[in-house]
Amino acid sequence: MSKNSRRDFLIKAGYGLGGITLSGLLPGGGMLATVANAATLGDPLAPKATHFPAKVKSVIWLHMDGAPSTIDLYDYKPDLIKLAGQPIPASFLKGIKTSTRGGAEKLYVSNRTWKQHGESGAWFSDLLPNLAQHADKIAFVKSSVTIGATHDISILKLNTGDLNPGRPSLGAWIQYALGSANSDLPAYVVLYSGDREPTGGSVNWSSGFLPAVYQGTAFRPGPSPILHLDRPELIAEAQQRDNLDLLKRLNEHHSGFYPGDTELKARLNAYELAYRMESAAPEAVDLSKESDATKELYGLNEEATRDYGTNMLRARRLVERGVRFIQVVSGPAIGAGDRRNWDAHQDLEDNHGAHAKAVDKPIAGLLADLKARGLLDSTLIVWASEFGRTSYGESGTGRDHNPWGYTQWLAGGGIKAGTTFGQTDEVGLQAVGDQTMDTYDLHATVLQLLGLDHLKTTFLHNGRSERPTVVYGQVIKELLV
Amino acid sequence: MKNNVRCLILAMLLSSSAVYAVDAPEGAQAKSTANKSSAANRDWSWQPVANSGAPEVQQKKWVRTPIDAFVLSKLEEKGIKPSPEAARAAYIRRATLDAWGLIPTTAEVEAFVNDKSPDAYEKLVDRLLSSPRYGERQARKWLDLARYADSTGFQNDYTRPNMWRYRDYVINSFNEDKPYDRFIKEQLAGDELYPGDNNALIATGFLAGFPDNKNSRDLIQRKYQIATDITDTIGTAILGTTLECARCHNHKSDKITQKDYFALHSFFANVNLVENIPAPKGPVEIQYEQDLAKWEAATKELREKRAAVIEPIRAAAEQYHRERYLTDSRESIFKPKSEWNATDRWVHHRLANVTTEEDFGGYLRVTGENKDSPEHIKEHAEKWLEYKKLTAELKKLDKLKPKRGSNTISAMTELGYQDAPPSYVFFGGNHERPLDEVQPAFPAAITSEKPVIVPTGFSSGRRTALANWIVSPTNPLTARVFVNRVWDQYFGTGIVRTVSDFGRAGEKPNNPELLDYLADSFVKQGWSVKKLHKEILLSSVYRQSSDYREDIYKADPENKLLAVFPRKRLDAEQIRDSLLVASGTLDDRIGGPAVMPPVPTNLNAGAFWEVSEDKGDWNRRSIYVFTRRSVPYPLLSTFDMASPQQAHSKRDVTTTPLQALTLVNSNVVFGWSQSLAGRVISEVGADESAQLDKLYEILFARKPDKAERATLAGFLKNHEKTIQSKLKDSDGKLALAVPVGLKGDQPLDPVRASAFVDLVHTVANSNEFSYRF
Repeated sequence: MSKNSRRDFLIKAGYGLGGITLSGLLPGGGMLATVANAATLGDPLAPKATHFPAKVKSVIWLHMDGAPSTIDLYDYKPDLIKLAGQPIPASFLKGIKTSTRGGAEKLYVSNRTWKQHGESGAWFSDLLPNLAQHADKIAFVKSSVTIGATHDISILKLNTGDLNPGRPSLGAWIQYALGSANSDLPAYVVLYSGDREPTGGSVNWSSGFLPAVYQGTAFRPGPSPILHLDRPELIAEAQQRDNLDLLKRLNEHHSGFYPGDTELKARLNAYELAYRMESAAPEAVDLSKESDATKELYGLNEEATRDYGTNMLRARRLVERGVRFIQVVSGPAIGAGDRRNWDAHQDLEDNHGAHAKAVDKPIAGLLADLKARGLLDSTLIVWASEFGRTSYGESGTGRDHNPWGYTQWLAGGGIKAGTTFGQTDEVGLQAVGDQTMDTYDLHATVLQLLGLDHLKTTFLHNGRSERPTVVYGQVIKELLV
Repeated sequence: MKNNVRCLILAMLLSSSAVYAVDAPEGAQAKSTANKSSAANRDWSWQPVANSGAPEVQQKKWVRTPIDAFVLSKLEEKGIKPSPEAARAAYIRRATLDAWGLIPTTAEVEAFVNDKSPDAYEKLVDRLLSSPRYGERQARKWLDLARYADSTGFQNDYTRPNMWRYRDYVINSFNEDKPYDRFIKEQLAGDELYPGDNNALIATGFLAGFPDNKNSRDLIQRKYQIATDITDTIGTAILGTTLECARCHNHKSDKITQKDYFALHSFFANVNLVENIPAPKGPVEIQYEQDLAKWEAATKELREKRAAVIEPIRAAAEQYHRERYLTDSRESIFKPKSEWNATDRWVHHRLANVTTEEDFGGYLRVTGENKDSPEHIKEHAEKWLEYKKLTAELKKLDKLKPKRGSNTISAMTELGYQDAPPSYVFFGGNHERPLDEVQPAFPAAITSEKPVIVPTGFSSGRRTALANWIVSPTNPLTARVFVNRVWDQYFGTGIVRTVSDFGRAGEKPNNPELLDYLADSFVKQGWSVKKLHKEILLSSVYRQSSDYREDIYKADPENKLLAVFPRKRLDAEQIRDSLLVASGTLDDRIGGPAVMPPVPTNLNAGAFWEVSEDKGDWNRRSIYVFTRRSVPYPLLSTFDMASPQQAHSKRDVTTTPLQALTLVNSNVVFGWSQSLAGRVISEVGADESAQLDKLYEILFARKPDKAERATLAGFLKNHEKTIQSKLKDSDGKLALAVPVGLKGDQPLDPVRASAFVDLVHTVANSNEFSYRF
């Protein structure tokens, strides 16, 4: 039964919430449930109000898997070049716990050329020639910090705010807080390259303690992106339509005995949504109607960029269709050597050459295309990674993990384009000064742009009011217009 | 900002602008409570259980068990009449789903409906509770709380090949009606309390189920996080207390201090995971060893060759590997054995358990692969090539490795020492910032009792002291929390709705006398879980009809008083398992290593999901489906299956298009509908009316009503045309989905048969199937 239970329960329990609507929904998703209850939820994906006007409608979250060395991409350090080959001066290592073989090695420099671009004069290395053309669209954070020595826990933190599995990912919070803008598609979509789901990946788009309805839906490569999207082999569309019409009649007949039971009615509705999704989802990822010029723009004509370019183009199409959060995990790069991801403990030259090539043109294409279509102002693009890489070398040709200072960037609506926030020390190892950005701060900033106050985006779980930024997080105002 | 804190500010955050309203939570609460409640009242769950006896009621005839009097008395206060008794068929469907997690068979329904004996209900309930199906269902509930998984989680998400033994232990415990206090003691301290009992060792799988990343370079942090996971799991699952809130700071609503938290944490300071305890040899172990022997024989030479490559550099490789751990881990790692303290022992045990031959190969690669590397050692270049070649050849033989099972037991136990590492209060929950040292103790606000810790021959004895307190009569939480969970299971909401938070931020019991009666009689009846279930199943409250009542909808819209039996969406496992029963394809073997039924090919899970070879395994009950932390089984996860990352207190009920897609489009589910169609035709022949009756009897334990019958008949007629035209469009090349598993050779019109499959599939998709009323 439990028709309006949560609503009443919470009012009586005295959480100071007069005037909650029947659906029990608050701005920012303050859905008042410790346990989701479809009856009170009504439609758990119904659009919900923001706390304040949103700057963007959608987020494209580019996770650079394996952690790129941002001192080889964006964070130009002339002193590092000068000191290359020498042991890192002890002063740079102050306050950090290194793990590699009991100490840091010699400062390492890769074979880069650096140039300033755009009116902002932002530095780019020769690894990202296409992205460099969009320098003035980007706000850099050169002082990102995080926790962790291994990828999995830091990736978890990047996506969920915790080093252990169990918390909801940022996208889940957003889906929960804002609902869906297009009921024919999931509001939170994950894209990955290659033919394998990223290992152990799904905790990074999990709904954690939020109801499962808010978890990310992994869009699989190929024409049928969602599990169970295709009808059983021998069932024609007209047949299925007949079946669903029968189902509707049977369910209506049955729920007639239970007037007022919204949960049963919601289930009736879910089948119609599913039917629409069967055509809407393949259409969303079908690139056949894209022009040759567009495909070229995203690098679809070239093997090295085709995989990632396809995801970028899919991302744009999902943005056009109102998907709120698109999480793109970078994949393996083409070519010999260990190129699973950006994790260049050795042979950075080869690894980063391949990975930068794979993403450079597609991301540049995405920025250009969004701009041309008037979507850049309502979309946020985030370049994020679990950590960066050390200024000192490893194995002579690679770099180790660096959670103490690395570059991430944001572009799109509400972003103060052409600026840089924070800095690292002279060799690019540690963030220095007051301006740093932890993952929680990045989450708070992303939520802010979506019109959500990270402190008020809450979910009652086991008696605790949980929020996306755990007990941390500050909006980085300097990044916002 | 340096810590992985899960702890949080209070629920009161929801209120208006109170961003950090934590300083005044009690004020906020007081505002909403008409009478300012005393501390004792607010900490009601810590007060001794008080059984006031069943209240006086007017409708004495309605009272079958004391439970009924407690419920009825509240109804009579409001002048509400309980609902009439549910029809027998509805009752047996409900009770079988609740006790077994399955729909009943038509024969079971018929037998019960026609049983005219006065103790028909009692006989039914006894039958339900004595079936192994009961343990399978109840175990699932417990495994949710135990954050049970068959893998470690995190990126590498290794298989834990022994965990199924713990799952079977839980099933068996419910089936044997093991007293709940003993059940808890075995899981927390079985190794200490019942030495020599393998089951008690396996029981510590409750502790051993922590998520783990074996590649962590920070062993000290791992030690801390493992004990944290265990402490928090016990708090949630057994004590119904949000202990974790007191890890970073004193609890914001309950009187649990940070010191209390770390005093509890310290009971687990000395536990280690031991995964290689030999298991007694049963069929699984024998089969496993036979398979393993085949792989060992086939790879013996290769492995010896590879070991020979490593041997001369083993010391250097080991050194290299060990140097890759973080500073404080290295302090323990490089300490001479003669100087090891309890922490060092823990670290070394862990190190030995997570280090593999492959780690040494890693050293060879670093020093041998790239001649431009400063770490390059010339002589290693050839060795690396040799090692690489041998490894590749070995990998080809991986397919010979045993696919399932094990011959070992995993346990959380101690390593033969009575002293434990010191424990501290950690500033902000940050294990790198120790404050005062703490000793094992129980939360001071709950009890004044002090732990009596008697070391055993091999362990600190700490967990025994904790387990004894948890199930002692002076701890009122354990019984209250458990009986409330069982109530929640039957009635959809607990007497305390916040089933895992009996603290101040949780909800108070809506019928405290009933809760205490249940807790008291549970303990008095020897913590018998079956007796508790039996009393509920036979109560008049449970036997009520779930039919809609306008008067109740108005008077008690949330049905708090239970004047109507509450309908409930089936859990993921109930849906899948009941479809298996309906289609006649359930493989009801009990226990054993976890199975992997087929998954959609575009799941792309690779080696994380290797479909079981034995097709019978595909149709085992859902509790036996492998729980891979990073690859939840799609069919179940769509329907709000428990997340195994943390103790899962209660299943969500969400209604989504992805669920609809799963039930409509999954080839597996559709296949079950084909089997069900075949079964119906086999059982009743070609008569349409009989077919519809049988179908409804199987799925809903009733016959279709007149309107449904007309709808279904009309559908068949039209649908045949749809299928005909599909055939016409495809020049007859398109195949039809027809019933499968037909017995005998009945002449079938393929178009009609195909239409019937669609009908069956659609009826199985209807609301009535996925709910119990």
